[in-house]
Amino acid sequence: MTRYLFLEEKLPLRLGPNISQLLSFSGPAVLTAIFIPILFFNNNEIDISVSNAYLWGGVGSIITAYKTKNIYWTIGFGGIVFIGVSSYF
Amino acid sequence: MIKGATDMLPLSLAVLPWGVLFGSLAIQRGFSWIEGQLFSAVIFAGAVQIVTIELMAENTRYITILFMALVISSRHFLYGLTLREKLSKQSLKWRIGLGFLLTDELFSLSGHRKSYASKYRLYYALGAGGSFYLAWNIWTAIGIIAGVSLPDLTNLGLDFAVAATFIALVIPEIRTVPVLVCVLVSAISSLLFSFYGFELSLVAAASVGMLCGYGVQRVRS
Repeated sequence: MTRYLFLEEKLPLRLGPNISQLLSFSGPAVLTAIFIPILFFNNNEIDISVSNAYLWGGVGSIITAYKTKNIYWTIGFGGIVFIGVSSYF
Repeated sequence: MIKGATDMLPLSLAVLPWGVLFGSLAIQRGFSWIEGQLFSAVIFAGAVQIVTIELMAENTRYITILFMALVISSRHFLYGLTLREKLSKQSLKWRIGLGFLLTDELFSLSGHRKSYASKYRLYYALGAGGSFYLAWNIWTAIGIIAGVSLPDLTNLGLDFAVAATFIALVIPEIRTVPVLVCVLVSAISSLLFSFYGFELSLVAAASVGMLCGYGVQRVRS
């Protein structure tokens, strides 16, 4: 339902160029708002400490994504950092 | 169609940990294998499925579960709006089919100016979305099997794979200052909103991020 609603042609709605431009930011905005809490929150509590493997893994992923722009490398290297740090602590 | 499936392949593989996490979680929380599989076959969403399983296991009232599902899924309103111009012209069959398949991952492949504009591109999207659907269900099945036969898999940090996947999708998109601002603001506000336990934090943070990105773009042009 949520996915389909606005694809319906009969819905009386026209999008101006300003709205379209605004919506072009929806992809990065939504994905960021999903992954940031995964990195910082553990069981509904914020965790900013050196033992938070999610943060280290996240930093590793961001650097790899920036350098390689490749999904496999990003997940692979971030995953290695994540597993490394979580088994160390 | 095959091109769509191969372009989606990295993302289909990347949700493996999450699918397995969901499958094993369903078993852990006392659902039967067929119920667990139906979640993935019918609902076909990541976060909503996991939250629903947890809430149902705690005997939460149905109205609360429905509300949570609506809150988490409300980002799809944004996706629908974004693709409206391209897809609302297509036939009902395509709209319902691709609408059902429109996940975060498929949406992230939909940014091209000409996406959904021709038959070829529609089949491309069908290949991408359909293969992702298939993969999600296979990973769920593996999780269910693992959940039945192995001890608790749910504390292994499989959700890190979700974060890494989304990082891989977002970072290469940051090519302009407005997008950078949008991502930074979205990140900071999602932290603030989640910290204060605001239920609509995801959509609120994303909206603030979008507005700031858009604002910067307007000021600069």
